[in-house]
Amino acid sequence: MTRLTRIGGPAGFVVLVAAVLLAPLVFSHYRTYQLAFVAVYLIALVGLNILTGYTGQISLGHGAFMGVGAYTTTILVVDHGWRDLWTIPVAGVVAGLIGLAFGLPATRFAGPYLALATFAIPLSFIGILKRFPHFTGGNIGKSLPQLHAELGVQANPSLWFYAVTWTVALVMFPLAYLVVRGRFGRSLRAVRDSEIASTANGVSTAAVKAAAFGVSAFFCGVAGALYAIGITYVNPDTFPIDLSILLLVGIVLGGAGSLGGMLFGALFVEFIRISWGPALLGVFSSVHHINKNAPGSGLVVYGVVLLLVLYAAPSGAAGLARRATGAATRFRRGKDASLSDPSLV
Amino acid sequence: MRKTFLLIAAALAVSAVIVVTAGATSSATPGVTAKSILLEGTFPLSGPASGYAPIPAGMGAYFSYVNAHGGVNGRKIIWKYEDDGYNPANTVQITHKFVEQDHAFALVGGLGTEPQTAVRDYLNQQKVPQLFVSTGATTFDRDFAQYPWTLGWQPDYEAEGAIYGKYIVKNLASAKLGILYQNDDYGNDYLRGLKAGLTAEHLPQIIDAEPYDLSATTPPAVQVAKLKASGADTFIIFATPTPTIQAYVIATKLGWTPAHVITNSVSATDPFLTIAEKSGSTIVEGTISINYGLDPSNPIYNKTPGMKLYRTIMKKYDPKGNANDPLNLYGVSKAWNTVKVLQAAGKNLTRAGLMKAARNMNFSAKKKNANPFGLPGVNILTKGNYQYPISQVTLIRYQNHVFQPFGGLINGRGA
Repeated sequence: MTRLTRIGGPAGFVVLVAAVLLAPLVFSHYRTYQLAFVAVYLIALVGLNILTGYTGQISLGHGAFMGVGAYTTTILVVDHGWRDLWTIPVAGVVAGLIGLAFGLPATRFAGPYLALATFAIPLSFIGILKRFPHFTGGNIGKSLPQLHAELGVQANPSLWFYAVTWTVALVMFPLAYLVVRGRFGRSLRAVRDSEIASTANGVSTAAVKAAAFGVSAFFCGVAGALYAIGITYVNPDTFPIDLSILLLVGIVLGGAGSLGGMLFGALFVEFIRISWGPALLGVFSSVHHINKNAPGSGLVVYGVVLLLVLYAAPSGAAGLARRATGAATRFRRGKDASLSDPSLV
Repeated sequence: MRKTFLLIAAALAVSAVIVVTAGATSSATPGVTAKSILLEGTFPLSGPASGYAPIPAGMGAYFSYVNAHGGVNGRKIIWKYEDDGYNPANTVQITHKFVEQDHAFALVGGLGTEPQTAVRDYLNQQKVPQLFVSTGATTFDRDFAQYPWTLGWQPDYEAEGAIYGKYIVKNLASAKLGILYQNDDYGNDYLRGLKAGLTAEHLPQIIDAEPYDLSATTPPAVQVAKLKASGADTFIIFATPTPTIQAYVIATKLGWTPAHVITNSVSATDPFLTIAEKSGSTIVEGTISINYGLDPSNPIYNKTPGMKLYRTIMKKYDPKGNANDPLNLYGVSKAWNTVKVLQAAGKNLTRAGLMKAARNMNFSAKKKNANPFGLPGVNILTKGNYQYPISQVTLIRYQNHVFQPFGGLINGRGA
């Protein structure tokens, strides 16, 4: 009961839509461009959350599914002359199918073994990109057309990109809500809470996990398509292993198993990657010597943030918000508010 | 039902945003005020490519020096750079910030072939100068007609490769060449240049060429072992610094002692080779490479005015930096050139004016305006269809921990 109300509500969605509408009026074009990437990460996190938060399966490889989506879009646009917008669903389907294909055998693993198996995805993805340079552009990658408003709309490219990403995000968000809400969502959570109990109750855990893998990869593929459109360039370096780990950190920070919390996760992912991460790394290395030259030294920042979150707010931003609203309601009404928890953030 | 309604509402609302949007307005030249010029750049300050981090620091030191002496036409240079971690996706977002948020006048010295390729279309569309990129990929010089707002600086990799080819034809005509090269544009530019320099007649001297991936998590041990097994007696390394150091060490560990080692200039700096030696490599001595700037590791340059000025600047404006690292000098030298073209662009500074100045550079000893941080006699020249700013180099040989120049200046572009 409470789990259902926790995943968000129509009121929260309306607030989100209003915020999305108002943001471009308040922020500069560059911030708008940056917020567009928040939408991109939101889509990816919401998708990964179906697998990690609701089904309890950790993936260290979903950045590669973003990569699959991004490359699908790029190759269709650059080599086959597609209009970029039309490639978005195709990118999602391609990534989803690959995710499903990977999920079918891989989900026979449980717990940490699955996580290790997923770690192979970004590793082999980068290898494949380099193995077929005529198809993927190899190391030097491929450039997409510059951002521009389409469909006869006259708008600044950043605003156009913002509108596109958030339109897609606001479609994908309720879609995720529908996925985790019904019968399928119940079996996801059953698998998470106890594989043995769910098997005993007639749920095929392998099938459920594989399906969750496919759905989450579909979301990441859509996000990747938008990512490529926004960055206007793909090469193997644009989908490093760090990205997959960062997505997982975003999930934990937002609050695994909460849809609304993913918004915080997405904001975190975008801003830590571009603005805060390098600065924080500088601070850390001045306090305690860190070899900034080492590959993946940026991961130190994610690691510290992850530990802090697990220590201070194990249920992420969503959990904090729940506690805050819960406390406020209790304070107002003078009684326990857990039964009428209105939270949705 | 309610959700369907919300969905429709959301879609309508988003379309409303699009309608509301207004076009961008432009005023005076962005990034230029009566008192300042804003220059920005992206560099890998963390991660595997962060060995290049001294470059923007060196540039900053020189800009501070110029500012302390009155700036450029009365304007002070504001120099800002950010860490892109060598991830082109980060480069793109940060570059958007430079252009749209900070309103930089020009982007200078941006590092890395792929990161700079990722933003080249954008900067040319926005008509923002992408000046003196820190990569020798030939495309940044060669394709000026397609990318009028982009210009490289250092000798391009292809030309450098050709110099090694010509050197081999002249001095090592019977050597058996084994090549380790990075499997991307960087390595392939070098390889293409080398083959051109060797000419068809000497091409069979290459008995093995082994590619490796920069993103590979293991050192290029298999490749070096294959090169050893091929019977090559001359080891040519076209790699970035870390794999280069690894290649030196691996070769020694495998007991391979090639008679000659040729290493591309990006990796053949004193600090990198010292690491290779300290890590146990015995084949560093005698390494051949090229250079075009003064070498702060070599005392023979200490008396030159350029080196004296460089050390003064480093001492005062970047005291924490390692003044013996040629990458700092590279940054100072590039900043010198930047200031020169800013001056040439005149008091009424525009982006187009800056590009015009950069496309018509002629800094040489003959005109008494040569780059003090370049090797004596190295000119900086761009004109018409010739857009390779620096193409004169000298061959250098590593002896007793220092690179010594030998032979005269060579023009890699043969012009």
